[in-house]
Amino acid sequence: MMLKPVMCHEVCIGCSCCLLSCPVWNRTRDRSLTAQGRNKALQGGATVEDISNAIDSCILCGACEPNCPEGNDIVGLTIEQRGLLNMTRKGYPSWYPATEAKPTKGVRLQYKEVTLLAGNALKNDKDLCEAVLKLLGNKSITASDDGSDILRSMEAGLQVDKSRIDDFIYPLNSAGPLVVAEGGLRRHLKEWLPDKKIAGLGEALLSIDSIRRSLGPDDLYVIECRGFHSDYARLVRFYDRVRLETGVQLNLDLQRIAIPTGASSIQASEDLEAAGCIEQVKWILYGRKVSRIIVENLADIDAFRRVTDIPLVHVALLA
Amino acid sequence: MKFTSVEKGCIPPCNVAPNSLMGVPRVQTNPSRWHGDGWQGFVEELKSKGVVVREEKWERSIFVTDAGGLAFGLPHGVVRPSSSEDVSKVLIAAQTHLVPVITRGGGLSSEGEAIAFGGLLLDMTSMNRVLEVDRENMTVRTEAGIFWHQLAEVLRRDGLDYLSAPLNMTSTVGGVLGVGGIDINSPRLGCSADQALALRVVTPTGEIVECSGSENSDLFERVLLGYGQFGVITEATMKIRPFTHIKMRYLYYSSLRTAIEDLQLIVREDASDYSGILTVMDSAINLLVAFDSDGREQEFDARWRSRLRGHGEVSFGVRLALYYALHPWRIKEALYIVDRRMKMVPEFFRPEFMREGKIEDRTVVFSRAVWKFWGGRQMVIPDLSASAEKFIEAVERGNAVCRKYFRYYTLYCVGIKKMEDLPRYEMSCMPPGATDFAYGCEFEPMLKDKDYSRDYLQSFKNEIYDIGVDMGLSYYRFGGMMKGYIRRIFGDEMVDRHLEMKRKADPAMILNPDVIF
Repeated sequence: MMLKPVMCHEVCIGCSCCLLSCPVWNRTRDRSLTAQGRNKALQGGATVEDISNAIDSCILCGACEPNCPEGNDIVGLTIEQRGLLNMTRKGYPSWYPATEAKPTKGVRLQYKEVTLLAGNALKNDKDLCEAVLKLLGNKSITASDDGSDILRSMEAGLQVDKSRIDDFIYPLNSAGPLVVAEGGLRRHLKEWLPDKKIAGLGEALLSIDSIRRSLGPDDLYVIECRGFHSDYARLVRFYDRVRLETGVQLNLDLQRIAIPTGASSIQASEDLEAAGCIEQVKWILYGRKVSRIIVENLADIDAFRRVTDIPLVHVALLA
Repeated sequence: MKFTSVEKGCIPPCNVAPNSLMGVPRVQTNPSRWHGDGWQGFVEELKSKGVVVREEKWERSIFVTDAGGLAFGLPHGVVRPSSSEDVSKVLIAAQTHLVPVITRGGGLSSEGEAIAFGGLLLDMTSMNRVLEVDRENMTVRTEAGIFWHQLAEVLRRDGLDYLSAPLNMTSTVGGVLGVGGIDINSPRLGCSADQALALRVVTPTGEIVECSGSENSDLFERVLLGYGQFGVITEATMKIRPFTHIKMRYLYYSSLRTAIEDLQLIVREDASDYSGILTVMDSAINLLVAFDSDGREQEFDARWRSRLRGHGEVSFGVRLALYYALHPWRIKEALYIVDRRMKMVPEFFRPEFMREGKIEDRTVVFSRAVWKFWGGRQMVIPDLSASAEKFIEAVERGNAVCRKYFRYYTLYCVGIKKMEDLPRYEMSCMPPGATDFAYGCEFEPMLKDKDYSRDYLQSFKNEIYDIGVDMGLSYYRFGGMMKGYIRRIFGDEMVDRHLEMKRKADPAMILNPDVIF
C-alpha cells in the first residue's frame, strides 16, 4: 500500500468544524464516531482497536477536510488508521472488498489521448459510457484498467502491491488529460501523477456549452463529493461559476462543501441505508423546490430513487 | 464574610471561596477533582432507567479540555441525552448520589467551564434537531445542543436566518443562551440570549419546565446568562429573520482611542447594522461596519461617513509605511502586519462567498477566519466589559498589558445593546453602570508558533482581570478558572443572593459546580 505521509492525529485542535459537514455526525449525532472524536480519543491514549467503530464508520467523503482550519489530511489519516486496524483485526467488516488488488498480467499499453477512467458503474453501463466518450471528443478512449480495485483496497486500508499501482499508472503517464469518474481515485492520482491534468467527469462534461446551457434554477445538480473535496480550492470556484451562470441548485452546504450521499462508499456497496445514504439524500432535498435531479455519479441514482420520484438524469445525458 | 462548614466528602456549597485569591493573587484557581464516591450507584440507577453512560476512557478523553486548552479534566462518564427526559433522569439521580453534572455544548469555553473534573459530562450536542420553523411568527423551536451553524443550514433552506450568534459556527444554542453571546450585530440586537422567546429547561432537581417572559419568568431570567447554574436548557424558541447578504466596509485607524470613539458614535446613533473593531496589535486598527440593505449603506454614507476619522486601506497603508520608515527598528512588526493582511484579506473576499460585492453567509466566512487566524491548541482570551464612559480607558489599559506580555495580539471590541433592566443581566457580562449600551473587548495574544508557560498566560489573564476589579467592570468570562474574581467583581451582597438562589434550586449543588458556585 502506498500511503502518503499524513499529519498525525496530534494536529487536531478539537474545534468541531469537521463535524459540521460530516454525514456520520448527521446520522448518529455521536461525536465519538467523527474525525474529531477519533483524534481526541487518540490524543487521550486510545488505541486504534478502541476506536475501530469510528474508523469503520467513516465513508471517506472528504467533506471534513476543507473545513479543517489546521489543514489536516483527515482522509489520509483515516485510511492509515484502517491500515493499522487491519493488522490486528480478527475479521474484516462485511463491506470490505472481497478480493485485494493484485498485479495484472498482460501487455502494457501507452495511452496518448484524453483518457476516461470510467469506474465500475459507468463501465457497466455501456451506452452511457459511449455517450460520455463522444462528449469528451473523438480522440478520447476508455482506459481498460481504471484502478477501481486499487481504490477499493486503499479505502479499506488494505495493502496494495506497488507493482499493481505501477501497472495502473504506467499507461497513464503518456496519456492526455485524464477524466476520472470515481472521485476517490483523484486524491491518489494527484499524488502519483502530479503533473498530469486531471478532471472529474462532472467538471469535464460541464465544460461543454450545451450541457451547461441545459441547466436551470429548477434543477438540482449533485456534485460527486470525493473528487470535489480532493481538489476543493479549485473546484469550489468552478462550480460556483456554474451556479452563477445557470442558476442551478447545487448540493453544497453553507460552507460550500458538497453534501455527500455516501453512495460511492464501500459501506454503501453492501447496504445503502446502513451507510446513511437515505438520510443524506433526504437532507440534500430538504426544503428544496426541484423539478429534475442531475447526478455526476451513477451510484447516486439508486440512492435518490429510494427517496424521491423527481426525474433523475446523468449529466452526460443533458447534451 | 460567612463561611459554611462543609462535611467531609460532600460537595461544598460555595466554590467561590471568598478568599480564593488571598495569598495567591496571580495564580489560577483550578477546581479539585471530584472523588467519585457514589458513582457506581449513580450509574446503576441511570442504567435501570435506560440512560446509557459511557465510561470508556477513550470516550471520556474526547472532552478532556476546552477551546482554551489550559485546563484539563476527565469525567467519570459521559451521557449523550436524546431528550429532556434523559437529562431529567440524570439530574434526579445526581441529586440523590451527589454526583456533579457538567453540561457541555461546543466546548468553546476558555476557562475550563465546559470541562468535567470528575462526575458526569452531559454532551448536549446529541440534542440537535430543529423542531419547528414558524414562518408566520418568524420563530424557530430547536433542541438546544444544536450548533448555530446547523441551525443556519436548516433555516437557509427557507431563506431565513437567526438573529445573532457568536462568530463561531461550533458554539451551541444552549451554551450561548447560557452565557450571553456577542455578535457584530449586538449593538442593534443585544446579546444572543436576548433573541430567546421561550425555553424548555430541566432544573437541577430534574423538573422539566417550560418558561418564557410570561410563564415561569423567574426561571427564564435566571437561566438566560445564568452560566448553567439554574438548569439545563434543552429546547429554545427564538426569533428569526429573512436572510440577507451583507455589505462590509472597513475603516482603518492608528489610534485605538479614535477608533473606539467612532465605534461608539456608530453604536449610539445606530449608523450601521453591524459594527466592531478588530486590530493587529494597536498598530493597525480596523473598524468594520456592515449593512443588510443598500438603503442603510447609503444613509451611512450621507449622514455618518464624513464624521468618522478612519481611512481607506490605501491611504492607511501609505501612512503606515511612512511610520515604519521613520521607525525602522520596528520593521518586524511592520512585516507581521503586512503578512497578516496578505493572508487574511483574501479570506474575507473568497469569490464563492461574494455576490455583487456583498458577503453571503458571513458567519461561515468569519468563523473560518477566526479558526484559521486566531484558533489553535490554546486560546487565551481574557476580556473586559464596560459602560460607555469607562470603555476607552479599559481598552487602553488592557492594550498596555498585551504589549507588556506579547509581541503579537489582537483586540476585538463590540457594542452590546442593553434591552431593559432585565434580571438576566445581573451578575453577567453586562457591567454595572451600563445604560443603553455596554461595550466589550477581548484581548487575544497570538500563540501560534510560540510556547508560553501556563503561569505566564495566567498572569496575563490576571492582569487583564485586575483592571476589571480596579475599574468596576464586568467580564464575558468569569467562570471556571477565573471564578476567584467573582466576589471581587460583583461584591458579596450580589454573590450571596445568587448563591442562596442556587442552593434553593440545586440542593446538592451538583449542576456545573466548577463554573460559578
